[in-house]
Amino acid sequence: MSIFAIIIACLFSSNIILSNFLGICPFLGISKKPSNAIGMGLALTFVVTMSAIICFALEKYILVPLGLDFLQLVIFILVIAAFVQFVEFFMKKYLVSLYKALGIYLPLITTNCVVLFVAQKVAAYTELNGVITFEYTFINMLVYAIFTSLGYMLVITLFSFIRVRIDSNKETPEAFKGNSIALITTSLMALAFAAFMGLSL
Amino acid sequence: METIIVIIKALVVTLGIGAFLGLLLAVADKYLSVKADPRLEVLLSMLPGANCGGCGYPGCSGMADSIISGSNKQVSLCKPLKKEKLAEIIEYLKSTPGPDGSVLNDIK
Repeated sequence: MSIFAIIIACLFSSNIILSNFLGICPFLGISKKPSNAIGMGLALTFVVTMSAIICFALEKYILVPLGLDFLQLVIFILVIAAFVQFVEFFMKKYLVSLYKALGIYLPLITTNCVVLFVAQKVAAYTELNGVITFEYTFINMLVYAIFTSLGYMLVITLFSFIRVRIDSNKETPEAFKGNSIALITTSLMALAFAAFMGLSL
Repeated sequence: METIIVIIKALVVTLGIGAFLGLLLAVADKYLSVKADPRLEVLLSMLPGANCGGCGYPGCSGMADSIISGSNKQVSLCKPLKKEKLAEIIEYLKSTPGPDGSVLNDIK
């Protein structure tokens, strides 16, 4: 996999929200205001990148050599939770308004499936005759983690701009108001992004 | 025997990583801590700590926040709180001034 192919795949053709359908809960929860959406995207980028680096290293140099692969889930969640806690400390001190706007969704990054998905994906390996090969090299892993979360940020930001207009639109039928119209819009966005799937890189 | 070795290894690795991350967080907490209203912590320790959400706030800390900031004046919203404890909390809030010298008087 070339790095360019990874970048395009993460941003467009296999976008984490629109084609893997992960992280929908904060996607709907935080996308009401563009500024909050960008803040959420940045917080997620930090957590995803840091936890992917640590989880990759732990899996490669500690868990697999010691034959403790079954601990993967426990250890990864431990690492992710620690980073989310760190982001929370940081925001409480320096970004109080963003901290208040994100509310419950900030600690919920811990259980955000995007983070665990990326960590598990970069730690994937194949075993053939006792030889263990990791699917991702360090650089590929780093690019994958950063651009997956940037893809998340791209979609949530685009969607927040659309949502500002949807919420102020008075012609939305009563039955569709709120999350239903948001989900319908998301599916239309997913259709648009599906056009990138034909790219062969 | 081999199983025991694996169990010991797993324990050591998990505890080691946990302790390391805990240490990092402790350091981060020290340097990034925010000066909160001292009443907040006392109030939080007086609430039941069940985080049941019965009051309508996300957990006991959300409830404590709303009382200290003045947006909510009813401690009695808390369902699992005992009567004696409620009186104790009201007594405490009426007798202790905040950092700016103001007292929460009309707490119920």
